[in-house]
Amino acid sequence: MNAVTKRKLPKFKPLKRKTKQRLRILFYIASLGLAFLIQTSVFPLIPFLAASPNLLLILTFSFGFLHGSLPGMIYGLGAGLLMDLFYSGPFGFYSLVFVLIGYLNGFFSRFYYEEYITLPMFMCVFNLLIYHIYIYMFRFLIRLKLNLLYYGLHVVLPSIVFSLLVTLVLYRFFFSAHERIER
Amino acid sequence: MENRKSKYIFIVLTVLCVMMIVLSSVKDGLMNPIRNTIGYVLVPLQSGVNRVGYGLYEELQDHRNLKAVQEENKRLNEQIDLLTEENNRLAQNEGELSRLRDLYALDQDYLQYEKVAARVIAKDSENWFQVFRIDKGSQDGIRVDQNVMANGGLVGIVTDVGLNYATVRSIIDDESRVSAMCLQSSSTCIVAGDLTLYQQGRLRITDMQKNATIQDGDRIVTSNISSKFMPGILVGYAVDIQDDEKKLMKTGYLIPAADFDDLTEVLVLKDVKSDSFLDTNEGQDVLMKNLTETTVAEESSAADEATTAADGQSIASTEASSQWPGMEGLTPLSEITGETSASADSTSEDAG
Repeated sequence: MNAVTKRKLPKFKPLKRKTKQRLRILFYIASLGLAFLIQTSVFPLIPFLAASPNLLLILTFSFGFLHGSLPGMIYGLGAGLLMDLFYSGPFGFYSLVFVLIGYLNGFFSRFYYEEYITLPMFMCVFNLLIYHIYIYMFRFLIRLKLNLLYYGLHVVLPSIVFSLLVTLVLYRFFFSAHERIER
Repeated sequence: MENRKSKYIFIVLTVLCVMMIVLSSVKDGLMNPIRNTIGYVLVPLQSGVNRVGYGLYEELQDHRNLKAVQEENKRLNEQIDLLTEENNRLAQNEGELSRLRDLYALDQDYLQYEKVAARVIAKDSENWFQVFRIDKGSQDGIRVDQNVMANGGLVGIVTDVGLNYATVRSIIDDESRVSAMCLQSSSTCIVAGDLTLYQQGRLRITDMQKNATIQDGDRIVTSNISSKFMPGILVGYAVDIQDDEKKLMKTGYLIPAADFDDLTEVLVLKDVKSDSFLDTNEGQDVLMKNLTETTVAEESSAADEATTAADGQSIASTEASSQWPGMEGLTPLSEITGETSASADSTSEDAG
């Protein structure tokens, strides 16, 4: 698909911009779906993972970081809706936090430099903290579960560590894919 | 300019999300049509991805496991001998038990529930929740509140059903609470999931009366008085039972019978506990009719039973249009007596 569209590009010059746009949207939707499928259907099978990396969150903040607040928010909404549609419980619970994360990370897009990985890593930790605190507050604290230290050590920390590892790889991939489509 | 625009959109989206959260918490099942539609597309995909992933993993594991399996085979063969012997003994006990049950007319039919097998296709990847999704939905007869078992033990309860999928909350989830009882002494307790105990493979037992007789290793089964769980399903084994001086009750831990680490296939019980509270609903209308017919056939011996069942049927036909899931605990006395006669009938039908 990718190759076919690329070959066509020089022939239809007026269509170039539109095709690029479409290709880009298609790529982002596909990445969202794929990340969701892997996150829910593959990661839980792997027994040595103490926690599975949150791919959707990583993609959302990378997207916000690369493209700005508004696209980040829309991408976050997509990711959040997938989670909401998939799990029972109040609808919109995940959408809210994903929109928030997409929006917040958009502000950092002005500090964006190519090949600069430290800031994304820092952002990853920051975003995961927001996400986990959000879940803890609304699903655990309201039931007066106060064992903060345990939750921090056994849920939040593994999740952050594994997500950081994945961010290292995925951000590069996402970044280069982004570059290739832009070019 | 761009910033302001995105700020407005952010506020609009936030308000929308909050509204949706409130709306969907107030009115259950509001989003079900959309969830169903998405499920229709996503579930086959998830199933496929899951199967491929699992296939690869199995293949890898197969090679690694061969030696271990041979050893295990030897061990298991020894175990089979032991179990055969034990089985013989238990079969004798079973005979004795059924005789005694007949005597006491305790026709509870523990663990003879009809089950549907389903495959686990997705799990919540966060450690916060222990929720998973199975590949059977309302089109396979799955309903909310059906109990889920694996390895002969209770696994969880269906919380949400789509056309071709259902979401199950495990009993090890932090929000899960199961009303259970000790098999030996029938003293009731609550088995609660706890995130802090999850990695030790334990659940918490609370709310057990201080004078209850319970020992470490006792079997804990779902209780008769539970409103959502069918009675008599093995949950696990009690350990570290202690007196809680402050709360004047006993507390302890439970080691679940089911293995939650590699849950790939589960059994869903077809019956729902709330069904047994009321006999007058659409689902059992047909059953009722059959029952009346059978009782009519044996009319001479049980004339009055047939009349009560016929009464039950008339109630069923008048109230067939009313929704039954909301009627829990609202059963009038007359219907309860009707129900006992129905259960007596069903046992007679089983026997015949």
